[in-house]
Amino acid sequence: MRFVLCCLALFHVLLCVERAPAADPVAAVIDLLSRDDPDFRAIGLERIRYAAQGEAATRQFADMLAKQPPGRQVELLRALADRGDKAAIPAVISLLTAAKDPAVRSAAIALLGSVGGGAEVAVLKQSLASGDPERAAAKRALVVLRGDEAVSQLTSVARSGEVGLRALAIDILAERRARAAVPAFVAAATDADAAVRGAAMRALGKLGGPDEVPAMVQGFLEAAAGTERNDAEKALVAVCTDNPGKERSAESFLAIFKATAEADREALLSPLGRIGGPRALAIVDDLLADPAKRDLGLKALTRWPDATVTPKLLELLGTTQNPAEREMLLGALIRIAPLPDNKFNDKQKLDLVVKIMPLCQTDAERAKLLERVNAIRTVETFRFVLPYVDQPALAEPACKSVVELAHHRNLRDAHKDEFTKALDKVIATTKNPEFVERANRYKEGKTWERK
Amino acid sequence: MPFDLMSLDAPFAALKAYDWGADAAAFKTIDDAVVAAHGDAVLRADLEKRLAMILGAGTSRAAKEYACRKLMMIGTAASVPALAALLKNADNSHMARFALERISAPEAAQALRDALGSVQGNLRIGMIESLGGRGDAASVPELARLLSADPPVAAAAATALGHIHTPEALAALSAADPLAGSGVGRAVVDARLASAEALLAAGKRVDAQRVYQTLADAVKGKPGAKAVELAAARGILACLDTLAATS
Repeated sequence: MRFVLCCLALFHVLLCVERAPAADPVAAVIDLLSRDDPDFRAIGLERIRYAAQGEAATRQFADMLAKQPPGRQVELLRALADRGDKAAIPAVISLLTAAKDPAVRSAAIALLGSVGGGAEVAVLKQSLASGDPERAAAKRALVVLRGDEAVSQLTSVARSGEVGLRALAIDILAERRARAAVPAFVAAATDADAAVRGAAMRALGKLGGPDEVPAMVQGFLEAAAGTERNDAEKALVAVCTDNPGKERSAESFLAIFKATAEADREALLSPLGRIGGPRALAIVDDLLADPAKRDLGLKALTRWPDATVTPKLLELLGTTQNPAEREMLLGALIRIAPLPDNKFNDKQKLDLVVKIMPLCQTDAERAKLLERVNAIRTVETFRFVLPYVDQPALAEPACKSVVELAHHRNLRDAHKDEFTKALDKVIATTKNPEFVERANRYKEGKTWERK
Repeated sequence: MPFDLMSLDAPFAALKAYDWGADAAAFKTIDDAVVAAHGDAVLRADLEKRLAMILGAGTSRAAKEYACRKLMMIGTAASVPALAALLKNADNSHMARFALERISAPEAAQALRDALGSVQGNLRIGMIESLGGRGDAASVPELARLLSADPPVAAAAATALGHIHTPEALAALSAADPLAGSGVGRAVVDARLASAEALLAAGKRVDAQRVYQTLADAVKGKPGAKAVELAAARGILACLDTLAATS
């Protein structure tokens, strides 16, 4: 026994006088990164991400970049980005200057975005001018770049940068939700360049409030008819109906509307209708009362965002003799009736649908109403729709609504027998294979994924 | 209020006749006494004596197991002989070890070491595991010798040595082949890694790194040893980081 213990003690002493282990964690990581085996490199990369602390270590790791092949440059860049140490930046900028590989360039840009600050805007701006994927990487990097200096530099680009970059800078600032840049957006809303105007209106649609409404109205009026005007309208309406301070924004819009020259008012009718509200309705009433402006009033009314104008629409529909007006008013009612705007409860919405149905004069109108009604998800709606499955001209829209209502498991399971019979009827009636498939799935208690 | 020793008479009489399936409610008094014994030396001695008597002939396996569980909590050197007598019995050896492994008296470790040379097969492996579980430095020479025994015993010995964090245990493991077959090499690797982790946790960074490095050198480039190389590499880096953080 004593002999064995002595042998073990001697062995231990021998172990201790073996070569002294390496003491440099950075050198050990670099050694691992030089391996061809990705599993060993992964350990090294993990240490870069979460260990081997210090700027000196970061610089040593970053200095390896230039000597690596592209694939390894990308993995090292990603690890350095996760490490989050600014000390890597000089080496990364050098790499960016020399590298041709798109993946390497994108990874380098992403790193600059995640660890850089205002000083890196200039480099990233250059990449904005190139093609994708570098441009997309630069855009993302500028969105995540930290610091107020980055915002102020991007704002300078938005105000007076190169023509091709100004709109991009505005989009980036909007994605950053940079409220400090709102004055620059306001100035750009009426810019001579359509792309800049469009970007500014989009940005104001996200970040604008009551103070920006006058500039947005001006931007809307200066927008070219078509896509630009439609997008500008959406942004203006969003500020007046969704954004913080929406009530004051809507008031500001109405005040501007009243003060606007007659020639421009027509253009503003469309957003007026979509913004809605009692004061807007009063303006519309005045227009409707004036035969010369009745069309404008109708146009605004038919774009109303909620069901508060229902009585007005029904009243006008009952009195008009003009087929085009009738069609416009009926279309508005069909659109408004099932709107989920909390103005009506489900029963009131369905009552309105029931009231509209006899006013429809063609099967096309009835079909439109039957297709819209499934937005009111009640068993009463289902019972209203079901008989139309038997009418050949309306069978398909009715089948569609039955299937849509059956899609909602709670509704379907609470009235299983009724739905099972109705789905059998749909299967026997419809010519649409998707409805048949869905009906069969719902009968079996299965779900269906929308394509 | 002192525990009434007389109140234990009836439960222990029931325990003597107890077998699986019978009502164990009567033992609640014994359970309470075990708890109360932590501050009562007289009660503890009395209980230990009564429980040790249950381990003798004439009681069922169920009763012996119950007694072992209680002795695990309150046992001292006094109950070691009764427990040691069960170590060679295939039915009771496991529960006797369960108690002996946790009784801190050196006599308990000695009983396990004594039994190691006189049992075979799974019982022997059990003794090895219990000695490892106790971290028994005195058993290192015998465990080191068993590293060259048949594979299941050798693997158990390696694992046990990995739990005994002494230089001698580590030296024995360092001399063992981490690439040995039949599961022995895997146990040696695990034990060496466990030893290194223990050293690192104890702040012995250089010693820990040496263990990792020796292991890495031993398996470097050998077929099927990549996972070991990776584990050793990770360990070395953890050692180096610890050094960097403390220097």
